[in-house]
Amino acid sequence: MTCDAPAAEAGTGSTPWRSYGTKRRSTRTVRVRVSAALVAVTVLAVLLVPPLAQLDQQAVDLAAELQPPSWAHPFGTDDLGRDLLLRCVYGLRVSLLVGLVAALVATVIGTAVGAAAGALGGWADRCVMRVVDTLSSVPHLLLGIFIVALFRPGVVPVAVSVAATHWLSTARIVRAEVLSLRSRPYIDAAVSGGASRWRVAVRHLLPAVLPQAALAAVLMVPHAMWHESALSFLGLGLPAHMASLGNLVQSARSSLLAGQWWPTLFPGLFIIVPTLAIAGLAGAWRERINPRRRSELML
Amino acid sequence: MPEQPLLELRAVTAGYDRRAPAVRNASLTVAPGEAVGLLGPSGCGKSTLARVAALLHRPDSGTLLLDGAPVRRWRHRAPRAQRTTVGVVFQQPRLSADPRLRLTDLIAEPLRATGRREDVPDRVAELAAAVGLTPDLLGRRPHEVSDGQLQRACLARALVLRPRLLICDEMTAMLDASTTAALVAAVEDYRTATGAGLLAVGHDHTLLKRWCDRTVHWDDVTSGTSGTSLEPSVPSAM
Amino acid sequence: MGHPSSIGADAVTERTPVLSVRGLSVRFLMPGGRRVAAVTDAHFDVAPGECLALIGESGCGKSVLASALLGLLPANAQSAGSARLGGLDLLTADEKTLGRTVRGRLIGLVPQSPAAHLTPVRTIRSQLEETVAALTGVRGRAAVRAAARAAAERVAFPAGHLDRHPHELSGGLAQRAATALALVGDAPLLLADEPTTGLDRDLVDRTVDELRRHVDAETGDGTGRGLLMITHDLAAAERIADRVAVMYAGRIVELTDARRFFGSPGPRHPYSRGLLQALPDRAFTPIPGMPPELGDLPGGCAFAPRCPRATGACAALPPVTDGLACHHPLPASGAEELRSTTPAPENARA
Repeated sequence: MTCDAPAAEAGTGSTPWRSYGTKRRSTRTVRVRVSAALVAVTVLAVLLVPPLAQLDQQAVDLAAELQPPSWAHPFGTDDLGRDLLLRCVYGLRVSLLVGLVAALVATVIGTAVGAAAGALGGWADRCVMRVVDTLSSVPHLLLGIFIVALFRPGVVPVAVSVAATHWLSTARIVRAEVLSLRSRPYIDAAVSGGASRWRVAVRHLLPAVLPQAALAAVLMVPHAMWHESALSFLGLGLPAHMASLGNLVQSARSSLLAGQWWPTLFPGLFIIVPTLAIAGLAGAWRERINPRRRSELML
Repeated sequence: MPEQPLLELRAVTAGYDRRAPAVRNASLTVAPGEAVGLLGPSGCGKSTLARVAALLHRPDSGTLLLDGAPVRRWRHRAPRAQRTTVGVVFQQPRLSADPRLRLTDLIAEPLRATGRREDVPDRVAELAAAVGLTPDLLGRRPHEVSDGQLQRACLARALVLRPRLLICDEMTAMLDASTTAALVAAVEDYRTATGAGLLAVGHDHTLLKRWCDRTVHWDDVTSGTSGTSLEPSVPSAM
Repeated sequence: MGHPSSIGADAVTERTPVLSVRGLSVRFLMPGGRRVAAVTDAHFDVAPGECLALIGESGCGKSVLASALLGLLPANAQSAGSARLGGLDLLTADEKTLGRTVRGRLIGLVPQSPAAHLTPVRTIRSQLEETVAALTGVRGRAAVRAAARAAAERVAFPAGHLDRHPHELSGGLAQRAATALALVGDAPLLLADEPTTGLDRDLVDRTVDELRRHVDAETGDGTGRGLLMITHDLAAAERIADRVAVMYAGRIVELTDARRFFGSPGPRHPYSRGLLQALPDRAFTPIPGMPPELGDLPGGCAFAPRCPRATGACAALPPVTDGLACHHPLPASGAEELRSTTPAPENARA
């Protein structure tokens, strides 16, 4: 060891500090920023355009049917001469609403069922999980069509049908998480400290699975939007006059064959882009909530 | 009639697989106020026995008596008063602490769980001082403190309900010498003040011989029947 | 045996250290602009055939030091100083160099928990064979197989257990398997990070004795291996180490001969003395208080608030003299003797 005054302490600027791993971080940051910007634009458009725009999205102008994109109609017009940009924003609004409601309901059901199965264990767990397995073995869309067909077309039946077919995966995720947590010593310590079954579930297990469940919910929003679009496309979802993204694509089918690409492309983009943006944000969030990452300081 | 033991385990067989129990036919007593060290190699099943003694794991067979009264129910089913008679500290503080709770809440949790909210400020301050935690550490979450600091909080949590028996399962195996000595001193201060009994489980003879009134070896506890590690060791302890 | 590394083409003597660390500092930049000084200005050497034990309590920065040497610091870390191994500075080497020439070939890592270090779904034999094929020039199925068996033999791993999976092994055998993997590349430096945590005393003794054997064994170029063992287990350190470095709050506060440290005259830094006195076979008394936060270190001696000998002088950072950073060290009987018997090569300082 040398007796020289330590060079490293003073810190700021005087010593040549070397950094690590900056490059990987920046690409991730870019992805997150782009996703966040896209989600923000989507949300703003959906919230602000309908009340601010004086235009009527249902205004039919048969003289201007199927016009390609222009300054007056940036996305062109559909077969009834309606402005596609406006229709897409309204459609996104409906689809997003269905997606959010369905994801919320599915997550609440899934978390409750999964947490109960995991926390109770034994026979209750086995019974519940067999039901989940059985339901999962039926194709989602088929089950969804069945449920929708029971009701009159509208937003509520579609949201219910998507929620009813999508809580299964959340239940599985939450149950697996609860099962792995249940054997942790900190649960033992809580039991030894006199905590009731209810208190252990509510205070120690549920808060631990909520981030996972919330992540599943966020990822389910685009999924539910896809389902809504699929149901509407099949003519079973929302009433045909309602501007949902699925309805827009559906009604554009015939014009696509005639070479008019815009009535299909733009609603399609409105389905894909928010989906990717939400998935991008959720991916970044998943990395953040991983507790192993948070304690990377190795102390 | 001789003094009634605080804890008595009679011919306890326990484990996670009935065909290959981690503990076979183990018997052990702890008298009131006595400190017993249970020595055994790692993976021998002594942690399972500690969990049985803390009413956290139901044995396959055998009897557990607390204050002479047989224990018939385990975990949540055990009466709360019986459960809280025993305080327990585990080997790995990281896994024993709910990562979302600040250290204050970690220590206070048993008080809240048993409806003694009003005692929280006094008891937490008292115990934090006893285990050597400073006030600024109490406001932090587990990932913001070191293993040693977290284990101090876990010990405080085990003591917060004033248990009459403390079970320390390899409490200091991950810690440095000074923290080990500090934690042992905190346990001994508590025992001097309250006359509580201690079952310290570990593999370090030097430590347990110095710490406890009496040490027993795992082979003697399981008397003859081999509970010790057969070569393909069953990862039973954790 | 084709030695892949180079201790340096320039005159390899007994005295040339395997690893030479100068002014190594590591800090973490935390959210909110906070700086955590995990390691500050570490200087030490590890000579061939020597074991240096780096001891200190958890959170003192010793694991961070190991990560820095292996190039495994997280993205929010910054480092300064140098750590020369052969002709290479480990701190400036890029990931490619570290992956291809350092890990396994220049530094063999003996992990903290072998059970987690070994791949659970593959047998010990297949892991050894893979490592042999990756790190050595051995080619051909039969040759690789034989080399893997030889690697197992070297650590006395029973051949009958080679086809088992990690979970079918006892703690001791898993430790041996991990050690066998660390030795395959015939690296001049072994780095053992808490190799004895959670092991029984007997197993601790066996593990460190085996490590000692590998330090003393001849390597390809006729010198011994160097071993840097990071541990909080003072008994294990006493059993194996030639020299001891005591780390406190990110700094090495004492670096001295192991026999003198554990025997007579004993450690000279009040912290080291306190650490030894906390052992259950000594006074079993803790050092009062707790170590300071690495993110909020005092300007002077970091140990002063807990030190029974602290004076006004301790408000200034103590210089490192004779491997000791303290304003008022405990008296050493015969400082002359200290110098003459300490085998450490870097004590002949520049």
